[in-house]
Amino acid sequence: MSNLDIFLQQLANGLILGSFYALVALGYTMVYGIIKLLNFAHGDLYMVGSFVGFLILSAISGLLGDSWAAILCSMVLSMLAVGLLGVLIQRVAYQPMLSAPRLSILITALAVSMVLSNTVMALTNGEYKAFITDLGYDGVDIGNVFVTYTQIVLVVSAAFLMVVLYLFVHKTLYGKAMRAIAIDQDACRLMGINVNRVIALTFFIGSALATAAGVMAGVYYGSIHFAMGFVIGLKAFTAAVIGGIGSIPGAMLGGLVLGLLEAFGTQIPAIGTEWKDVFSFGILILLLIFKPTGLLGKTEIERM
Amino acid sequence: MKKRTMLAAIGGALAGLLMLGQACVAADLKIGIMVPTTGSEATAGKDMENAMKLAVSEINDAGGVLGMQIVTITGDDACDPQQATAAASKLVSSDVTAVVGGYCSGATLPTLKIYGDAGIPMVIPAANSTKLITANPGNAFQINSTGFDQVNTAVDLFKKKGVKRLAIIHQGDGYSEDLARLTREKWTGMGNEVVAYEVVNKGEQDQSALVTRIKSKRPDAVFWTAYYADGAMVIKQLRQAGYRKLIAVGDGSNSPKLLEIAGRAAEGVYCFSNPTVEYLPAAKTFADNYRKTFKQNPDAYAALAYDGMKLMADAITRAGTTDKKAIIKALAETRDFQGIAGPISFTDKNTLAKSNFVILVAKGGKWTLYQ
Repeated sequence: MSNLDIFLQQLANGLILGSFYALVALGYTMVYGIIKLLNFAHGDLYMVGSFVGFLILSAISGLLGDSWAAILCSMVLSMLAVGLLGVLIQRVAYQPMLSAPRLSILITALAVSMVLSNTVMALTNGEYKAFITDLGYDGVDIGNVFVTYTQIVLVVSAAFLMVVLYLFVHKTLYGKAMRAIAIDQDACRLMGINVNRVIALTFFIGSALATAAGVMAGVYYGSIHFAMGFVIGLKAFTAAVIGGIGSIPGAMLGGLVLGLLEAFGTQIPAIGTEWKDVFSFGILILLLIFKPTGLLGKTEIERM
Repeated sequence: MKKRTMLAAIGGALAGLLMLGQACVAADLKIGIMVPTTGSEATAGKDMENAMKLAVSEINDAGGVLGMQIVTITGDDACDPQQATAAASKLVSSDVTAVVGGYCSGATLPTLKIYGDAGIPMVIPAANSTKLITANPGNAFQINSTGFDQVNTAVDLFKKKGVKRLAIIHQGDGYSEDLARLTREKWTGMGNEVVAYEVVNKGEQDQSALVTRIKSKRPDAVFWTAYYADGAMVIKQLRQAGYRKLIAVGDGSNSPKLLEIAGRAAEGVYCFSNPTVEYLPAAKTFADNYRKTFKQNPDAYAALAYDGMKLMADAITRAGTTDKKAIIKALAETRDFQGIAGPISFTDKNTLAKSNFVILVAKGGKWTLYQ
């Protein structure tokens, strides 16, 4: 491999990884944008989504086989299921805390995270589960870069979901309501917008996107584990902050930046792959010091 | 119903006493078994105890040793250094002629001195920390290969497969880093090249950056020295990225789960393993007898425990006396004792002269014996 090949291959790696991060970061950023909550349980919803997708896939694989159709079907069903779980969590754990100080609801989010991961741990005895799909190792050589069909499908579906979300937020009435609530909840209430329903919808979409990423990760990496949500949760949070938390295009950009950063960071000679996380969290610290609003975030001006 | 149970109990006790009496008359040979029969490692310990008892009953059925029947006394070390010390003292004070046992290295270590002071010959079937070699006062003999042996097995395979450029990946924990470091030392010492020596974080799912880094160094073989769960993912992503050459994993990755997670990608992966019963053709009769007697499958160290007891009996026969010094001498002089896990001879450090590490290869979703 020449240096150019390595560069291109790491570019591809970074984009694939980045699209996972972006999908999870979207949920983070939407929830933060609308109720100013850092939902630390978000990474665990990704993990739960992965397990639910795994269950559904094993249930329907007898019917559809390990085909793309089966995967798509299990992905859609688990997005629905975990989306509803997200709404349930919001109703039970967050709704009563909305008027409490921000810190209380943050701690609630941590508690939800623990409940989710420990429940799955208890159910699976903490074992790794093999997410078996018989997708091939075939792929295409783009120049000297080898990309499998699985990778292409995953990136395309991630991009598709992001585009749909963008259109939803910017072209529909509900999207408009979301943006309005993000600016001023009380005014929206006075205007007759059903704020609770919009918040629930936000949680549904965020959880469903995390689930999509979780199922994709399961298909792609082939193994799932109760603790897999923790690191990705932190990374998605970092991605959201990089892009400017609360901003949807920011989350997409942040995810991609983070993925590329990790892929190229590990390529530095004398610094091994174990430094990967150092790059992501290092940039988080730098950004918080020099540009706390993130790349696409706007400085909030409070008007009296 | 109750009465009958009681009668049976009394009958059993009487029979037991009778047998004990008989055994006493026949002048027995006491051999101590030291394994964890309680605590976290109890399953492994009981499995070894079963295997040793099976060996003893075979020996006794064939007429015993030097005309004596073997009786065993079990000391439970609970895989805990303190309890191991107590267990060893118990065995010494019960006046055993020899001891076979040692599963956890940490628990076996302090007992070496106790048996050493009492001059009791010992065969260690499972524990294999390299510390046991230096702490050995000369009476203990290890029939499980050491970490050095695993490295030798690995290096031999690489050499045989014409590997020139080797990539090693570990996870930074004591076990995998040690194995990786020893392999690197040995491999470069032989004048070969280690083109990549990488560490990965535990639980990391995405290994694409690592895989690209490794692929760009064009290694002929990749050696994963850590455990199965992450190993499976590394293997899978290496194959997905188009790496088609040799992949080998250490004994920590010897799990069917690795094959399940990695799926087709694991096909043809080599694994270095302790001689477990399922991969030993010579252990078939043993495995059948074991299943028949104990209604369960023999576990990882059953074969070595069985060999250990047989070796001890053989050494006592060769010594021709129950004098402990003579037995130790006989053990040291063991030449190609045919165990079911492979032939046993000792080095001057009382470790196996020829490693019994076996090489497995993944075929059709199963680990099979290579060669």
